[in-house]
Amino acid sequence: MSYLELLRLAAPEAIVVLTAFVVLTIGLVTGRREAGDTPAATAGLGALVAALGLAIAAATIVRLPGHATLFHGMLVVSPLNSLFQVIVLVLAFFTVILARGERLLPNKGEYLAMILLATVGLMLLIGSEELLMIFIGLELTGLSLYVMTAFDKASQTSAEAGLKYFLFGSMASAFTLFGLSLIYGFTGTTSLAAIGPRLAEQALPPLLFVGIVMTLIGFLFKIAAAPFHLWAPDAYQGAPVSTAGFIASGSKVASFIVLGKILLIGFGPVSGSADWHGLIAGWTPILAVLSALSILIGNLVALVQKNVRRLLAYSAVAHGGYTLLGLIAGGRAGFSATLFYTTIYAVTLVGAFGVVGFVRRENGGDDLADFAGLRARSPLLAGCMAIFLLSLAGLPPLAGFFGKFYLFSTALRAGANHGLLWLVALALFGSLISLYYYLIVLKVIFLDENAQATPAVARYDFEMRADYLPKMTLLVLAGAVLLLGIIPGTLVARILASFG
Amino acid sequence: MTSLLPWIALLLPLASMFVILLATRSLRTLSAFISVAAVLGSFVCSCLIFFQQTSAAAAICWIDLAPLFSVPLGLTLDPLSRSMLFMVTGVGAVIHIYSLGYMSADAGKSRYFAGLSLFMFAMLGIVLANNFVMMFIFWELVGVSSYLLIGHWFERPAAAEAAKKAFITNRIGDFGFMLGILMVWTGTGSLVFTEIAAGMAKLTAHPSYLTAAALLVFCGAVGKSAQFPLHVWLPDAMEGPTPVSALIHAATMVAAGVYMLVRVGFLIDASSGALHVIAWIGTITAVLAALMATQQNDIKRILAYSTLSQLGYMVMAVGLASGQAAMFHLFTHAAFKALLFLGAGSIIYMLHHEQDIWRMGGLAKRLPITFLTFLVGTLALIGFPGFSGFFSKDAILALAYERSLPIFAFAAFTALLTAFYMTRLVVVAFFGDARSPHAARGAESPIVMTLPLILLSVPAAIGGFGFFARNFLSLPNETKPVVAVPVIALLALLIGVVSALLLYRNRTTEPVEIELFRNRFYFDELYTALIKSTQGLLAAIAAFIDRWILDGAIVRGLSGGTWGSGFLLRLLQVGNLQAYGFLFGLGIIGLIYFTVFH
Repeated sequence: MSYLELLRLAAPEAIVVLTAFVVLTIGLVTGRREAGDTPAATAGLGALVAALGLAIAAATIVRLPGHATLFHGMLVVSPLNSLFQVIVLVLAFFTVILARGERLLPNKGEYLAMILLATVGLMLLIGSEELLMIFIGLELTGLSLYVMTAFDKASQTSAEAGLKYFLFGSMASAFTLFGLSLIYGFTGTTSLAAIGPRLAEQALPPLLFVGIVMTLIGFLFKIAAAPFHLWAPDAYQGAPVSTAGFIASGSKVASFIVLGKILLIGFGPVSGSADWHGLIAGWTPILAVLSALSILIGNLVALVQKNVRRLLAYSAVAHGGYTLLGLIAGGRAGFSATLFYTTIYAVTLVGAFGVVGFVRRENGGDDLADFAGLRARSPLLAGCMAIFLLSLAGLPPLAGFFGKFYLFSTALRAGANHGLLWLVALALFGSLISLYYYLIVLKVIFLDENAQATPAVARYDFEMRADYLPKMTLLVLAGAVLLLGIIPGTLVARILASFG
Repeated sequence: MTSLLPWIALLLPLASMFVILLATRSLRTLSAFISVAAVLGSFVCSCLIFFQQTSAAAAICWIDLAPLFSVPLGLTLDPLSRSMLFMVTGVGAVIHIYSLGYMSADAGKSRYFAGLSLFMFAMLGIVLANNFVMMFIFWELVGVSSYLLIGHWFERPAAAEAAKKAFITNRIGDFGFMLGILMVWTGTGSLVFTEIAAGMAKLTAHPSYLTAAALLVFCGAVGKSAQFPLHVWLPDAMEGPTPVSALIHAATMVAAGVYMLVRVGFLIDASSGALHVIAWIGTITAVLAALMATQQNDIKRILAYSTLSQLGYMVMAVGLASGQAAMFHLFTHAAFKALLFLGAGSIIYMLHHEQDIWRMGGLAKRLPITFLTFLVGTLALIGFPGFSGFFSKDAILALAYERSLPIFAFAAFTALLTAFYMTRLVVVAFFGDARSPHAARGAESPIVMTLPLILLSVPAAIGGFGFFARNFLSLPNETKPVVAVPVIALLALLIGVVSALLLYRNRTTEPVEIELFRNRFYFDELYTALIKSTQGLLAAIAAFIDRWILDGAIVRGLSGGTWGSGFLLRLLQVGNLQAYGFLFGLGIIGLIYFTVFH
């Protein structure tokens, strides 16, 4: 194993790190001259470099060899990993563009650099099949995201959200690390591929289950599954909008793929069963319980929210619950359903948070009332939001419908005698509730009159030249949600093919 | 050999629709020519396909979740769809050209041609679909475009009502169709026609299931092909522009039901019970519609009832397990019925929208081309020896004679009635004296309208001869020729023609009044009363349930409960970090307890 080979295989990550440094330097050199706002030109240059770096990294991934493994799985190149690294890069790319809209943030250069570092963390998470490396990726992502969440220094809620996110994240990490050490103690290895066979050949002591549960905590925290979701509403509401979007999208996609790999590859032999009649101990019943809890809590609490970002946060908890269904179902079909759903969910949420960002800038808030009459002010934003929310609610022909159909039907077929029927029924019930609160938002957007109408200011803001790019991005995202609903086969086929 | 030709033929009209809607809506003449060019393009593609005998088209997989569910987006090209494609684009092209004249002064011309293009797209989709999902999507699209075109003159209440009626009646049938598709899918696990055909063994093992599925699929055809008891929409659909009646409600769309039945013939033929029902539905439709036609005064309505009756023949043939005979009649009928409608349109156009045959008269001299071509169409329709309808109707009669004598008797009686009402129409409208000022001054239509008439009269005249028809479809195989059938058919023809001649020659008003027939057996009244009474009752019950049980008990209770629990759960979200940490830890302990001690 030569270092040249290492550099070649780790080139995408290296490129993103390098870009982060360049962006940081640009911010340092030019950004601190005046207090408060970053000069527009600098911010533009930084964003351009960041976007370029992400694009180059994505291009590099495409040119990597099909399969390669470094250091017992610390860095694994496979079609699946490459596909999702590209997806994460694309999500980061959109985040960078949408961050352009947030003019209130100071020190744009540092902010962009944190986005890029978080992206590196996600890429490592996805690209590694070794527990220690996964943990490092988890931490790198987490620390970057904590900083990003607290970045809006002028806002008290941002600082509070950052602190809560950080403390919770640390707790979760501590549990995960403890769990990892237990797993290592039982199996003597940290490579996912090796853990499976070792677990299969020994009797399973209760302490091992403790280890498994603890290992999962860190990921369940990331995907905001109840009851580890308590940070999410505050973080989604308090963080800068683009950060919230990134937490809800990129971080979730990476967490689900790692969770899936750990469970299906590493802990495969101790899966157990979550069938209604045939409960067998293992991680499946744990996930089933958490999934049910997430669906119930997320949807019920979302009903009473008055703030759109909090509403999206609770609905994210519920969507996390749906997405777990695929992992509970297991197998190739289940995993691909989970990955498909989390991908389209990520695309949808980046877009939804983009719209929220615009509204927030225009009205200074993101409560439901601030969305009143959005249709009249900006039909484009209102239309995009309608597509995003209806997709989240799962109405055809949008991507969310097919995603849910795929997930639920896979789960229904997984257990013997439709053993997972109870969970699918619960998920359907949850979707029904969710339709209600999504429609409430749309009702406010399309039917309610704008109470604190300030059309002159609004129009001025909305015609800013710098908004052109973010708006086009929203349109692209909405188009993607529609297209993935009409021809979902392309992405599904890609995911299935990448399993090899 | 894969070929892109069918895709081009399919997508050209769609492109035309988009261009018209997005770009050229205000340029009415340009829109019309774009639409005509698109359908001509499709026609050229169809000709190439037809004469090169292209057999398979490129297929894409639309949704592929292999073990779970997969929808291939594929086109099928076999002799059946090839000739159907040729017929649909051919008749379509002729009628598009005719529309240039008929709709020349219409304010909504762009909308009209966009609608026609949408219809062509949808119809070609039905013809080419190789699976149930695509067929159902296009099936609904055809319904939509038919709705739009019937209601083209939406400012007239009658047209708007007719459009609504057609759509809703079709939906009733389509609901059954969808259930049928789902049953077939559940039974065989596939939606692709060839795969279903291969997996028929799974269905034939359960005869009653198969019969139910076949009959539900047939429901779709009952709606679209206007069979009894869902036939009521077709006569009303004549409120649309006459070219639309010719294209959609005579030659193509209403034939889609028959085409679909033939396409899934393997399914229907497997169930003798379903075949029996289908044959009798067709027979009932044929007889009833012919009876109603004898007492109508509106020229388009007479033709509409005649269409119903002829569709009844086709469905009868399907029910007698001969898809070839049905398709044969479908083809000849498409030619001569489109011809008749366009001829009627030519008369209506020149008489300033006069449709009552008793206010015509003496048109043979003033509109010679229209008269001659109309005569060709009439002779074909009544099955005069040598004309196309003679051969195709004879095929069905022979079939009925062989399989079921009662059906044969009804079919022969229908033939008699057909001869009767068509002779009545021709005698009253074209001969005698002009009975209205418009009729006295009428003159021949412009060439853009008479040319299509002449073009269509060729296949209407010679389309039935074996040497000609064999190029287009596999003719029903001649069993031992029975002399009785053509003799009885000719006898029926003669009785019909002669009695009509005797009765209607030189009359100025209707000599016989049969209220029952004139009022279409009171079907509409019956349905209205039925709907009114049941609807009122159902609405009252539903309102009660909705208000007191659903809204009061369930929704209020449920939403109260959900909101309440939402509030309770929100209380957990206190914002206090220590409390969060406590819950977090509690969650972990609970999980470990659950895993280890369960």
